Amino acid sequence: MTDQPVTYSADSRLASIWSAAAASWLPPITLILAIVVAWEAAVRIFSISSFIIPAPTEVAKSLVAQWDTLMQATLVTAGEILFGFVVSVVVGIAIALIIVRFDWLGRALYPLVVLFQNVPKVALAPIFILWFGYGLAPKIGLILVIAFFPVTLSMLAGMKSVDHSLLLLMNSVGASRTQILFRILVPHSLPSLMAGTKIAATLSVIGAIVGEFAGASDGLGYIIQFASTQLDTALVFAALLLVSVLGVAFYYAAEILERIVVPWRPKFNDA
Amino acid sequence: MSHLAHANARKQTAVQTDELITANGVSVVLGNQLILQNIDLSIPQGSFVSLIGPSGCGKSTLLKVLAGLVTPTSGSVSIAGLSATEAARRRMIGLVFQDANLLPWKNAVDNASMLLSIANRSLSRAELQARGQEMLELVGLGDASNKYPHELSGGMRQRVAIARALALDPAVLLMDEPFGALDAITRDSMGQSLLEIWQRTGKTIVLVTHSIDEAVHLSNHVHVLGIRPGRITESMDIDLPYPRDLSVAEDPEFVKQAVHLRMLLRASHQPGGAS
Repeated sequence: MTDQPVTYSADSRLASIWSAAAASWLPPITLILAIVVAWEAAVRIFSISSFIIPAPTEVAKSLVAQWDTLMQATLVTAGEILFGFVVSVVVGIAIALIIVRFDWLGRALYPLVVLFQNVPKVALAPIFILWFGYGLAPKIGLILVIAFFPVTLSMLAGMKSVDHSLLLLMNSVGASRTQILFRILVPHSLPSLMAGTKIAATLSVIGAIVGEFAGASDGLGYIIQFASTQLDTALVFAALLLVSVLGVAFYYAAEILERIVVPWRPKFNDA
Repeated sequence: MSHLAHANARKQTAVQTDELITANGVSVVLGNQLILQNIDLSIPQGSFVSLIGPSGCGKSTLLKVLAGLVTPTSGSVSIAGLSATEAARRRMIGLVFQDANLLPWKNAVDNASMLLSIANRSLSRAELQARGQEMLELVGLGDASNKYPHELSGGMRQRVAIARALALDPAVLLMDEPFGALDAITRDSMGQSLLEIWQRTGKTIVLVTHSIDEAVHLSNHVHVLGIRPGRITESMDIDLPYPRDLSVAEDPEFVKQAVHLRMLLRASHQPGGAS
């Protein structure tokens, strides 16, 4: 434990953020460029058929040619992800709160939640299609069952990590369980909860694509499915690229959310 | 002149016999283990009492019994005529632990008034802030009220924890190794500040410590606890005049008392010696 609080001047802090950003972005960008160039070269040199592995230029061409269709599908998938993600976070938090606040219900619920986590959720996709049809509902359902668990688990872990003597302090002034829950446990769990939320954001993307694979008439998952039956591998890769972009976008959106919700959290990448 | 001195002496005696906390035959069994055995304790109003003993002697448990957080298996505790639980409910107990346990999302002044806001829901936000600020000034942190815990040093965080306990205006301040995690220099200045706070507020303070110097420097009465089971083996008065500052440690009398206390401590865990 240091006894001197560390302070930075605004200028040097900004400069250090920039150099840190450059230092952390430069290596991955270089590597990606190298892989793309090698890929293109390999496809050309070995003249690999484009329906097995399309060259990056083929993927780019397909991306441009099918731009409108792809964008429309991206919007549909993004909508599913966002909706499903929000539902997962809300349900995940609610389950964690119920488990902590109500002893009996919590003891009953927790093993069920863990048990359910071990069900291969991808296998539920056809059942959800059967129950809810081809619309939005089965995708939201699938995202929910895939993504709520890390939210619940991380929030529970965060609440359990509260120092025992802080709870003693609260008890010593006669705090109620609800007061302890909302004034101590919930805010204390936020950093951990946000870590779980970032995982949920990534899982939401997977949930949406799996849901579209199982049965859809729109969305990037549908395009991937459809294009592969047409042996239009370049389009499959173009759609895959957009799925990845969506995944990264949702991850960073969750990270920005974290900065807003947990401003007191020490940022690891500042060090 | 002699009249006045006599009156003063009488007053002194009256204060001395005015017991705020009494424990009668308190034993605590947790699981199958006897943690505390037959503790008799009387702590006068306005005194500064240290409980000292080796690790595992149950001194922290004793403090929790006094705070009403642990119910004794047998025996009873009375604080100003009330049970410990009842005294806690009436905000008569202020607690400070080794870890400051501040809420990282609240600034110093909100942390200082945090327990008060739960104990007394009728206070407005402005009243809470005013009380928090007043207490921060008392502990010497008046200009740090907008700082967040991560911007404060370990010693400053512990000062906020003391302010938080004092904000309740408790009858007694129960402190469980409050300076245990601090470095020696910070520890000394915290002890000195605590003495000043004690003299300014007149609160009764019960301090759990394993530092002989801290006990002799701060308190006017020390109870020595022996280990397995935890029991009070010795008690001694510290006969050093207040106000005491850090130079008291160079006083031959201080050294004498510290040596005596060390001897008592050694004797108290002679048989077991495991810690």
